[in-house]
Amino acid sequence: MPELYLRFLNRILTPVLLLLSLYLLLRGHNLPGGGFIAGLMAAAAFQLQILSRGHERVRRTIGPYLNSGIGLGLAVAICAGAVGLLDGIFFKGVWFSLNLPVLGYLKIGTPVIFDLGVFLVVVSVATSYLLGLSRVSDAAALLRQDTDAPVRSDSPASVMPDANVEPSHRAEP
Amino acid sequence: MLAASLSLIIVSGVILYWIQPHRRAWAGWLSALPPLAVTVWQLATALPFLNGDAGTASSAKAALPNGAILVEQYRWIESLGLELSFRLDGLSLLFGLIISGVGAAVALYTHYYLENDGRQGYFYLSLFAFMGSMLGLVWADNLLTLFVFWEGTSVTSYLLIGYSHQSAVARGGARNAFIVTAGGGLALIAGMILLGQQSGTYTISEIVARPGLTDLDLYPAILILILLGAFSKSAQFPFHWWLPGAMAAPTPASAYLHSATMVKAGIYLLARLHPALSGHPMWLWALLIFGGTTMLVGAITAVRHWDMKALLAYATVSQLGILTTLLAFRSEAALLAVVVGILAHALYKGPLFLVAGIVDHATGVRDLRKLAGLRSSLPVTSAAALLATLSMAGIPPLFGFVSKEALLESFFESGEHGEIAGWIAFGAATLAGTFFVTYSLTLLWEAFLRPGSTGEAEGSTRESSGHIVQTRVHHAPAAPFVAAPLLLAATGTAAPFALQPLDAFLTSAAASIAGAPVHKHAALWHGFTPVLLTSLLAIAAGVWLFQKRYYLRRALALLPENLRGVVLFQNFLDGIYALGQFTARFSQGYTLATQAAIVLLAAFVPVAVALLQIAPGDLLTPSGVLPGAPETVLILMTVVSAYVTVRIRTSLGAIVSLGVVGVSVTLFYVFFSAPDLALTQLLIEVLTVVLLVLVFTKLPPDIRPPMQKLKQIRNVLVALAAGAFGFFLVLFNTSEAMQAAKSISGYFLHNAVPKGNGTNVVNVILVDFRAFDTMGEITVLALAALGGYALLNAPRVNLPSWTSQRPESESTESRQNPTAAETEQSSTESPAKAGEK
Repeated sequence: MPELYLRFLNRILTPVLLLLSLYLLLRGHNLPGGGFIAGLMAAAAFQLQILSRGHERVRRTIGPYLNSGIGLGLAVAICAGAVGLLDGIFFKGVWFSLNLPVLGYLKIGTPVIFDLGVFLVVVSVATSYLLGLSRVSDAAALLRQDTDAPVRSDSPASVMPDANVEPSHRAEP
Repeated sequence: MLAASLSLIIVSGVILYWIQPHRRAWAGWLSALPPLAVTVWQLATALPFLNGDAGTASSAKAALPNGAILVEQYRWIESLGLELSFRLDGLSLLFGLIISGVGAAVALYTHYYLENDGRQGYFYLSLFAFMGSMLGLVWADNLLTLFVFWEGTSVTSYLLIGYSHQSAVARGGARNAFIVTAGGGLALIAGMILLGQQSGTYTISEIVARPGLTDLDLYPAILILILLGAFSKSAQFPFHWWLPGAMAAPTPASAYLHSATMVKAGIYLLARLHPALSGHPMWLWALLIFGGTTMLVGAITAVRHWDMKALLAYATVSQLGILTTLLAFRSEAALLAVVVGILAHALYKGPLFLVAGIVDHATGVRDLRKLAGLRSSLPVTSAAALLATLSMAGIPPLFGFVSKEALLESFFESGEHGEIAGWIAFGAATLAGTFFVTYSLTLLWEAFLRPGSTGEAEGSTRESSGHIVQTRVHHAPAAPFVAAPLLLAATGTAAPFALQPLDAFLTSAAASIAGAPVHKHAALWHGFTPVLLTSLLAIAAGVWLFQKRYYLRRALALLPENLRGVVLFQNFLDGIYALGQFTARFSQGYTLATQAAIVLLAAFVPVAVALLQIAPGDLLTPSGVLPGAPETVLILMTVVSAYVTVRIRTSLGAIVSLGVVGVSVTLFYVFFSAPDLALTQLLIEVLTVVLLVLVFTKLPPDIRPPMQKLKQIRNVLVALAAGAFGFFLVLFNTSEAMQAAKSISGYFLHNAVPKGNGTNVVNVILVDFRAFDTMGEITVLALAALGGYALLNAPRVNLPSWTSQRPESESTESRQNPTAAETEQSSTESPAKAGEK
């Protein structure tokens, strides 16, 4: 029962991965990290979720937000660029400092906000693919169980990337 | 105030959309108010100036040069040198009044034409957006401002023509009109930029005041480009066919766009630039030839059409040709004739279209073969039609007659001055005038005047349709519905008797075209002149042709169908579609491996070309350092795992060894301290491998078939080329020549902290220095996600052949069919997905 390990790992790792992704996003401007990397990291967290809990349940929880996440990310990125227009040029970086009570002195600029948009797009796109592909592969597995016996020789898997192969190749040793 | 008027028009369009006008009886009146207000405001502003030298007006006039009444400027995009500048002078006033005045009538009319139509609000929105664009176009004093509004009219007219979007005819007409006018717009912007650059300013009033533009070397290019824009917009030959096609629009739009306003935009542009560009023989002959052809083609083909709107459309084409021909000349008489012609045309063609709409609305018929006796069933409408049609025919003493006299006289005058062009134009205009009379009478007689009984001799003997019955009116028009055309027609009828007060208005418009004061005056009666005689002869000939119209129609019907512009254009479009399909099939119709090979080889070609041009010694690294132990291990690891990937016979094995390749590359990044790259690559490897494993574990264990020999050789060659591409690209970059060249990395390294406020240079480049690139990348990513979403969630695309080979499992098959389709996708798509990420 491999899912048991996975479920256990999932409990621990998903929050860690998500936090790590947030960390990578925030520190990205000064240290290795940034929107792309953080987005992929978050997608990895969702991948783990999909593996352990099945794509159906993950889709129910985050599925509805994915497409809007893509749009939101693009919108955030464009807005971050548009702020520069106030200063004359699209995508001109505008920086301002905040003095927050807990976090202390924080310097925020439109490039960082832009990075947030990148993050949103990347995580939504990647997760959307992961969900779609795992659904399709589950469906394929179902089909395989159903049709195992009669059509062993030309099952769906014969439609390989290298697609123009004769289906009768199984006959060969 | 000009900008405020524009905003008023556009905002009222939104308000009209919002109040759901089809449910409000008063919406028609409300909609007429904003254009009416703009009309009144323009009159009020202009009157003191037009009335001449009295007091305040003259002092204000002195302040504004070149007869401007009002000038406004707003900042827009300063970094591009763009500004919104507006200027009201005689010509813009003439057009502005027509646009807002006819606009008010059309707005009122629309409410009744589209009664009970749920999309009436949408129509109003588009109509008012169009009105705003058109007003902006004629008020603009900057070439680029003008262009923005010019394109605005193209887009909004597309929406208006395609209003009945469920009809293929409407969609086709809208598309053709848009392609032609927007294509002309592309030529126009090029011409405008050339003109602006050559004259050093984009302000129209300054360009116009500048002498010597016709002597420029680039003058022919400027002229041709601008004429392309103007001709396509104003439906001049050979673009004239889009205008009849645009008649699929609801009638208010036809009346407004395709007679009174939009098609005049090209005329307006020619008139506006007349002082700067005219005077060159090229200008004269281009306008004369194309205008003359248009006038004749329009006038002659108008007779052949049975549809009232098509007939009117060709008549409009003809009138536009006349205006273009007039603009070829520089005499005061010609320019005054342009002004009178524009006004007269708006005042007779507008109401005629509106009348056609009422007839259509009331009887459901627009075909002249089926209409008869509307005189008795729609008396008021017929009265408006009578006035407008007689004016169109140029029967004295209506406004059309004044217009025709003015134009014939101006041609005659040019001819007398020894210009051969004048005589050509005179002849063409006389011929066109004859046909004007013919189709006007045809329209008037067949639709309105002929008694609707079986005893109509001509109709019953000549036409195969047999008896012409009195057209039944099943839907009596409401009073305001009829009021709109009647008002316009009445204005047109009254105008010739009010030429005295109108004079200042007309001459100031003509003066704007001429760029100098005009002393010529329009008159109803010129005395017994050769021109009058010609005019009367033309009328007589027109009446004769009207009586022989069945022969005429039969002769015109003999013209070959596929010489028509629409057909030719459709062939052209079909050609483009075929080319597109061919290109797609040629470049994308292969298996994934072949497509990847194409891309890789395309990348390799430039490198190969560069390799041939470089001495091998130049590429060796300057230091000549050999790789150390860790690098050697990594290289071996990469090569071995790559070999395993190729040779291994199971999919899962290939996936895993591919992962090993990726991780080895990641380790390279680590060794050469590129943590960002390493992180990204690692994450992508993990995601890809897990994803592929996810997909392939669920599929039956599969052993890859042995590949065909030929294919194997091809793949090896492609792989070698791809490897050479990467290898030599790196060598190029590390070669001495490249190192000596100025590298951009220094800039990024030095400016990341001071300018980008970040110490991670890679990230600063991504989100700050090269943010535009990143923006493009995430947009592509988003689009790829949409494509993937569509593919992965499609219920069924193509059923693989094996699903239909199992008759025994019918039930499971029908249940599982969707998944079967997805399965095929999963196996063919997944490597592509991996590649995208």
